[in-house]
Amino acid sequence: MTDTMIAPTEKNSLFMEQLDTLTGPLKGEKSPGWVAQLREEGLTRFRKLGIPTVKDEEWKYTNLSAVAGHRYTLSAKSALSPAQRKDILKRYCGKADVNIVFVNGAFDKELSNLGKIPPQGSLPAVGIEVSTLQEAAKNDPAAVQEIWAHYDPQKDSAFVALNKALTQEGVYIHIKDKIIANQLICILHVTEAPGEQIATFPHAFIRLGKSSEASVLETHVGLNDENIYLADPLTDVFLEENATLHYVKAQKESLKAYHVGTTRVWQKRDSTFNGFSLVAGALITRNNLDVVINGEGAAAFLNGLYSVYKNQHVDNHTSVDHRVPKATSNQLYKGVLNDAARAVFNGKIFVQPIAQQTNSYQLNKNLLLGKDCQVDTKPQLEIFADDVKCTHGATIGQLNEDEIFYLQARGVPRKIATRILTQGFVDDILNRLTRDSVREQAARMVAPSLEVLEG
Amino acid sequence: MFEIKNLHVKINDTEILRGIDLKVNAGEVHAIMGPNGSGKSTLAKVIAGHPDYEVTEGEILYEVNFKKINVLEMEPEERAQEGIFLAFQYPVEIPGVGMSAFLRAAFNALCRHQGAEEMDPMDFDVFLRKKMKLLAMDEKFINRPVNVDFSGGEKKRNEIMQMAVLNPRFAVLDETDSGLDIDSMRIVADGVNKLKNKNNAMLVITHYQRLLNYVIPDFVHILVDGKIVKSSGKELALEVEDQGYDWLSKK
Repeated sequence: MTDTMIAPTEKNSLFMEQLDTLTGPLKGEKSPGWVAQLREEGLTRFRKLGIPTVKDEEWKYTNLSAVAGHRYTLSAKSALSPAQRKDILKRYCGKADVNIVFVNGAFDKELSNLGKIPPQGSLPAVGIEVSTLQEAAKNDPAAVQEIWAHYDPQKDSAFVALNKALTQEGVYIHIKDKIIANQLICILHVTEAPGEQIATFPHAFIRLGKSSEASVLETHVGLNDENIYLADPLTDVFLEENATLHYVKAQKESLKAYHVGTTRVWQKRDSTFNGFSLVAGALITRNNLDVVINGEGAAAFLNGLYSVYKNQHVDNHTSVDHRVPKATSNQLYKGVLNDAARAVFNGKIFVQPIAQQTNSYQLNKNLLLGKDCQVDTKPQLEIFADDVKCTHGATIGQLNEDEIFYLQARGVPRKIATRILTQGFVDDILNRLTRDSVREQAARMVAPSLEVLEG
Repeated sequence: MFEIKNLHVKINDTEILRGIDLKVNAGEVHAIMGPNGSGKSTLAKVIAGHPDYEVTEGEILYEVNFKKINVLEMEPEERAQEGIFLAFQYPVEIPGVGMSAFLRAAFNALCRHQGAEEMDPMDFDVFLRKKMKLLAMDEKFINRPVNVDFSGGEKKRNEIMQMAVLNPRFAVLDETDSGLDIDSMRIVADGVNKLKNKNNAMLVITHYQRLLNYVIPDFVHILVDGKIVKSSGKELALEVEDQGYDWLSKK
């Protein structure tokens, strides 16, 4: 399909027009009534909101008119070549891990190894449930429906509503009470559909029972930097009392792709969300990470790294809502920008009147290497309790000249010194990824954006 | 091997060095002493090539392979590659860059310059541990980010350890003794003395005479107000310790 030029004012209406085409194929699906109802709910909500514009305060610095200006399809005709399949297995699917792989939005059974997870009742994976969303909706519809009940559909953002309306594939992960899942669970989304302009709406549910622990890596990659596509993933995390989730979302989409993703986290008492968000590419990226702390003693760690170049745009919106006393949240987002790349960081922290003795920290550090790059960073603290510790800060700057001189004085040429210091800036946060395989994958994904320094 | 001629240096239009002359031969240790603000650290930084300083007059000549080269025309990294080393008064912290990676980059830059093969990471690790032992540095530092969370004394020891790794021909020690307790001072001085030989030379910049009890200088120069006002043997350091600098600056 060719991409015809459309005037900006008509772009949004073009996108709205295609909703009928996009939802068409879903009408014939044999899904239970509650699924159809969710779709309708999402669609109605999205029709009301439309694609956000820069007039919307939440979207002030991120212009989506380009996203709205394409015609999308829900599924692709393209398939991966055997060599590409082999490469994906090598790069992204650890043999010891649980791998759930989606190609162009569709579940790929062959690349996944769900079948190799020991069935329930056999050790050591007893109590670990990993399945596709369809299967879960069939086998345990109550559990899936319950997750939706946590959120008021009238407050869904446009892209959450759109995901709800159009989602076809997804993952359901349930770790039962007191289970420590040592295996890394990898959700991988690969897009490779030259000339097709597909849109994907995957939905992942991650639910951890009381005193359980798990590690989940959600990866989004585009194989070809020329591909134009839209990814609108939604991930819902629920942590019961004393559960711990290590969750990484790592993204390296095509240089012409749009990625507008949402992760929602719901935490109960003494639970820990240890999150990391990596953005290593897409023409426009917007990540919303919304954490609701609904139990005393809970802790949320939100770490992030974005490293982009050329004309890429990356926007991270985080929100931590402290609804109970004695919880902690700690955020560190670091960014490296080159060429004419642009970054937005918006970090909201709400401390509700009841949430006394909250500890909340937020820091955003940006390294500007290009002449034409730009950063808009905005902390947004709304504190209604008086006995709290909250700090926030943001830095935007170039490499430290004292550090460069120190390296030069040891014989390291300036250019290499620049590379080493930038890598250091990046490693400083990557080192927070304690699982070696995850850290190594993240480092590999971010490497091309740092190599441009040598050019 | 190293000669400074009529060196004048400005920073932000303020003249700090006002005509320095100094000649150092291979095998010699020269000490530069002087009150605060006399220009000692400026001299050290100018030798290393710090970009903030402007040389308005004079030259610095350095002998490499029997040829005199003009140091002021070289980039800081070229000076280092030719064997000029500065032990920083305030070593810089570099978060995210491990000690081992940092020093390997430096060592390999040196190897490349000399046309030698780079050392492989495993061999370098062994080599580095040996040098750390020389300065009684705990091996745990090898994986730490450069100078981050090091105590004042550890940072200074780290400077001399780096000197041991890079084995320079002309080393400038800028107030390496400040902030050191007596034990650290001995360790640092022992390290420096072990690195001393007939082919290299050192310029030891210090405010106190203390370090010079351990690293014995051949010459002592007193720097006051951007000029060397007196040069003599090691006994001059003791005189200064006794009487301060006032009697020299009034002359």
